[in-house]
Amino acid sequence: MPESLPIVEMVGISIAFPGVKALDGVGLRLFPGEVHTLMGENGAGKSTLIKALTGVYKIDDGEIRIAGEPRRLGGTADAQHAGISTVYQEVNLCANLTIGENVMLGHEVRGAAGINWRATHRAAGATLAKLGLGHLDPRRPLATLPLALQQLVAISRSMVAECKVLILDEPTSSLDANEVEQLFTVIRGLRDQGVAILFVSHFLDQVYAISDRLTVLRNGRFEGEYRTSELERAQLIAKMIGKDLAVLKSLDAKESRRVRTDEAPLYAATGLGRKGAVEAVDIELHRGEVVGLAGLLGSGRTELARLIYGADRPDTGEVAVDGEPTEITTPAKALAHRIAFSSENRRDEGIVRDLTVRENLVLAVQARRGWARPLPRREQDAIVAKYVSALGVRPADPERPVRLLSGGNQQKVLLGRWLATDPEILILDEPTRGIDVGAKAEIQEYVADLADDGLAVLFISSEIEEVVRQSDRIVVLKDHRKIAELEGGPGVSAESIVTVIAEDGLGDPSADTAVREEATT
Amino acid sequence: MSANAHGPAEALKGLVRRQYFWGIVAIALLLLVNLVKDPGYLAVTIGSSGNLVGNVIDILRAAAPIVLIAVGMCLVVATGGIDLSVGSVMVVAGAVSMEFLSGAPDTLGSGLAAVGLVIAVSAALGAVNGVLVSVVGLQPFISTLVIMLAGRGLAKVITGGQNTAATNESFRWIANGHVLGLPVVFLLALLLAVAMGILVRRSALGLMLEAIGMDAKAARLAGVNRRALLLTVYVLAGVLAGLAGVFATASVMTVDVSRTGYQLELDAILAVVIGGTSLAGGKFNITGAVVGAILIATLDKTVVFLGVSSSATPAFKAVVIVVLCLLQSERVRRAFRQRRAAAARPAEREAVAA
Amino acid sequence: MSARQRIAKALGAATVGALALGLTACGGGDSGGDDGLTTVGFVAVGPEGAWREANETNIQDTFTEDAGYELKYAPATNLDQKSQIDAFTSFVDEGVDVILLSATEATGWEDSLKRAQEAEIPVILLDRGIEPDDTDLYVTRIAPDNIEVSTAVADWAVAAFPEGANYFVLEGPAGVSVVNERNEGFDAVAGAQASLVKVGAQTANWSTEEAKSVVETVLKSNDNDLQFIFAQNDEMGLGAVQAVQEAGLVPGTDVKIATIDGTRNALESLAAGELSFVAEYNPLFGETALEVVEKVLDGEDVESSIVVPSATFDSPEAAETALPDRKF
Repeated sequence: MPESLPIVEMVGISIAFPGVKALDGVGLRLFPGEVHTLMGENGAGKSTLIKALTGVYKIDDGEIRIAGEPRRLGGTADAQHAGISTVYQEVNLCANLTIGENVMLGHEVRGAAGINWRATHRAAGATLAKLGLGHLDPRRPLATLPLALQQLVAISRSMVAECKVLILDEPTSSLDANEVEQLFTVIRGLRDQGVAILFVSHFLDQVYAISDRLTVLRNGRFEGEYRTSELERAQLIAKMIGKDLAVLKSLDAKESRRVRTDEAPLYAATGLGRKGAVEAVDIELHRGEVVGLAGLLGSGRTELARLIYGADRPDTGEVAVDGEPTEITTPAKALAHRIAFSSENRRDEGIVRDLTVRENLVLAVQARRGWARPLPRREQDAIVAKYVSALGVRPADPERPVRLLSGGNQQKVLLGRWLATDPEILILDEPTRGIDVGAKAEIQEYVADLADDGLAVLFISSEIEEVVRQSDRIVVLKDHRKIAELEGGPGVSAESIVTVIAEDGLGDPSADTAVREEATT
Repeated sequence: MSANAHGPAEALKGLVRRQYFWGIVAIALLLLVNLVKDPGYLAVTIGSSGNLVGNVIDILRAAAPIVLIAVGMCLVVATGGIDLSVGSVMVVAGAVSMEFLSGAPDTLGSGLAAVGLVIAVSAALGAVNGVLVSVVGLQPFISTLVIMLAGRGLAKVITGGQNTAATNESFRWIANGHVLGLPVVFLLALLLAVAMGILVRRSALGLMLEAIGMDAKAARLAGVNRRALLLTVYVLAGVLAGLAGVFATASVMTVDVSRTGYQLELDAILAVVIGGTSLAGGKFNITGAVVGAILIATLDKTVVFLGVSSSATPAFKAVVIVVLCLLQSERVRRAFRQRRAAAARPAEREAVAA
Repeated sequence: MSARQRIAKALGAATVGALALGLTACGGGDSGGDDGLTTVGFVAVGPEGAWREANETNIQDTFTEDAGYELKYAPATNLDQKSQIDAFTSFVDEGVDVILLSATEATGWEDSLKRAQEAEIPVILLDRGIEPDDTDLYVTRIAPDNIEVSTAVADWAVAAFPEGANYFVLEGPAGVSVVNERNEGFDAVAGAQASLVKVGAQTANWSTEEAKSVVETVLKSNDNDLQFIFAQNDEMGLGAVQAVQEAGLVPGTDVKIATIDGTRNALESLAAGELSFVAEYNPLFGETALEVVEKVLDGEDVESSIVVPSATFDSPEAAETALPDRKF
């Protein structure tokens, strides 16, 4: 059986960038009919290795063999010819085209008179149906879909090209549990057809659920290749971070609860809502408290956060900050009230990619001062020094364009930008998405410290476990409504929140009024 | 703004890395071509009235209006916009000033009043652009296209379709006078360009504009007041274009409603691009825009000096610009570097190919 | 958010559309022609300079309602030929009785003229000719003769520089028929005179400002060794005067400048001794045009080319005599 022969074999791959050796003698083997996971912290070289395989980067040393033949991949087109398809970490689709056009881009069905759009859309529909996305209308603009579904559309696109090797770079980072399961069903289907799948993810559960084999990289070097069934999680993490499990333990450590001194809320909104985004919600934030927003993707978590920050203009509701009634209709007003908001869409709404680390860090502070009162260089340097070291931004070069940093470090810069505004209320939407274990732990720890220092933190994550671990109080959203508010404690777990969501609306007519219920086991 | 230059060698290296370096090279080459035709080309002599006289001085004078509109365009482009109306604002400014001066006494006061009037009118036109872009939310291309078409019509209405001429010595002095032997018009343009450079780099205006141009959504969430900034930038671009219109009309004290500023928006855009500012917005370079403007003036003057025939002039200019843009293109530069590197170490290339 | 953007886009498109309509329909008005008036469509050049202003005003003043005409005046947008073709086409579509055409560019009129012919609308060319010059496509061309006028300039130059001279030509935009004709007439005489040496020619696009800049550089490239400048219109000639003065030379003495057109500004400059020769290119042929239109509508034959007589002015005195009743 050819199963014993790898379809892709990368041997001794080295790639150097000016000043950095990104990959140093790394090897990778992909077998047909197997799901292979590439593991490693951010900056370990996973993306570089993938880009070498897809022909984006030229290798300085080493060899790539495809089906036993040495190949030189001069560009993405070469890789596609060789049957290698890729779905990247950040969705790379054309938001202004339709779903069908995105799926079929480059593979449109052609007739005598150019492209046959009917047939093209029909083919797109068929492809989507295979992924269980048959309910999507291929003629709708892609931009109308939430990020998660866009991701699945991106995967559909790569399935249109007859591929032998499918690379999925962080495909699940923006999917909820159901969608992940849907994706995995598709991946298993493809695997059974003999496709070799290279999977990259930070979610260990997912890695263990789907992969047959894994390769671990660390600091651009090859750590080893293992059968997933033969490697324990703890061992895996130890290999990734190259030290013992102290970091991981801090993740699981049971926090001591913060005790809220029962003062008046710092922020209180009643009936805050916006048509089509969030139905009237009451929410309070107290000093020194982390409030978590839990709910499935599309439940209105991000929408609510944006209303609080004024990123979208609320239609209804009254807001009081520190007891003073006020209106927050623009981000500038929110910042003036010392509210800061870190968007889930780090790439488009968070960092400004082409500005330097320093410029990104001071941007919000500067915007609040207005352009006519520039922040003196000395104060800029102070901000930069403070947050680069406090958050552990690496590399610690303030004049480096932020786009050259890894995702986790970009997130730290973004967090630093908001902290530099000296906020009293900090809204963090998915601050840990798509970043590696180490950076994630650092950010979580920092958030806890901030609350200890007296900030009011609103924490949003699609990982319910993370919300539970981080929050003192949890607001549960479903279908753009608030369905429950739970005090954190031993009785609250991811499971109990899922139960609340699942049971909401099941023959309980008083669900709407039960805005605040204490969850006890 | 410049990289940490520790010595002349580093300073030179820093210069070479800048995009507008090739603009400077192009200017030097054009001057060299002229020098080949006439060895006395670069000579600058002291004329009868004690002023410096020479081809280079003429180039500086011709560059002045382009410098102004290029600087304004540079700021607009940084925000990810474009201002197609600069040429039309120039002709409106010319029409306003000539129409005013033709009925006013030949005094310093009326000259100053004309300039003041121009600033007010061109700021108003810039503000219309700014409001259309920032408040109404039209695409900059469309908004400024409206003013571009309407502006020339407005100029014709102001002068009644005539090419109005006027007499005012102080107004004329702006374009034809000299200070310390140098043309006033270039000194003014340079002064304004430097002032704008200081304004954007010493304040946080530059950073804010770049943030808007690079990522408007992220800038908004960071609390950047996009509306006010866009309005400011379009008003600045309008005023600079208005002053460029003063420069152009004061030169001959006549406004030509169909020719003054005609298609100069294209020169301005070209100057900005030559200067290394991407039309996609974001990072901008005012020094580069000034270099670009001087290059365009040099090119215009070279065509006349060499006696290139009228019909061949557009082609000649196009060739120079295309070559320059190729040299600036990252891809072409990389190809050059790789060839050089490959030639330097053929052995290593063999190793990779093997 | 997307709805607002869409509205904004639609607004933008509407504004531009309305603007474009407004521009092409300029002077259009309703397709009237009732009340016994003869409808005349005038595809004009529009603001270009004093000469054009005089010419087009004169035409408009001649074809009045009192004279029994409704004149529809359609000037080009920024001298753009396309806007002229659009205006011409809409005149044909609405069925005017006669079309007067002053083309901004000579070529590219065949299709439009054929459409007029099919619609049996006579076309009379005013001033500017067309190329190729197919006389079957139009009734007649009424114009001063550019060749005749520029020949007069050359004749004067030959007489004014018995010792010979270096000269430079300031041309209009490359490719325009007026420029070609004015070059042709001038070169036929001046080119045959060995003592007259042409040091160069450049376009200054009819503009004073550009002419000043061009002459400034030309004087330097020739070390001021230039005795004569032929400017193909008055505006460029006036720019040349300023450049010569800036260079520290005396126009009229060190450098003689001759222009074509004969506008008031040029004659004033001639009277002041700055210009040395002005050849009129007579714009006032409204009366001639009116006679021709009447003949054509009555079915009479007319010559395919009617030359409008023009004067020349070779001294300050001649200019001063003409100035008091100068209409343009």
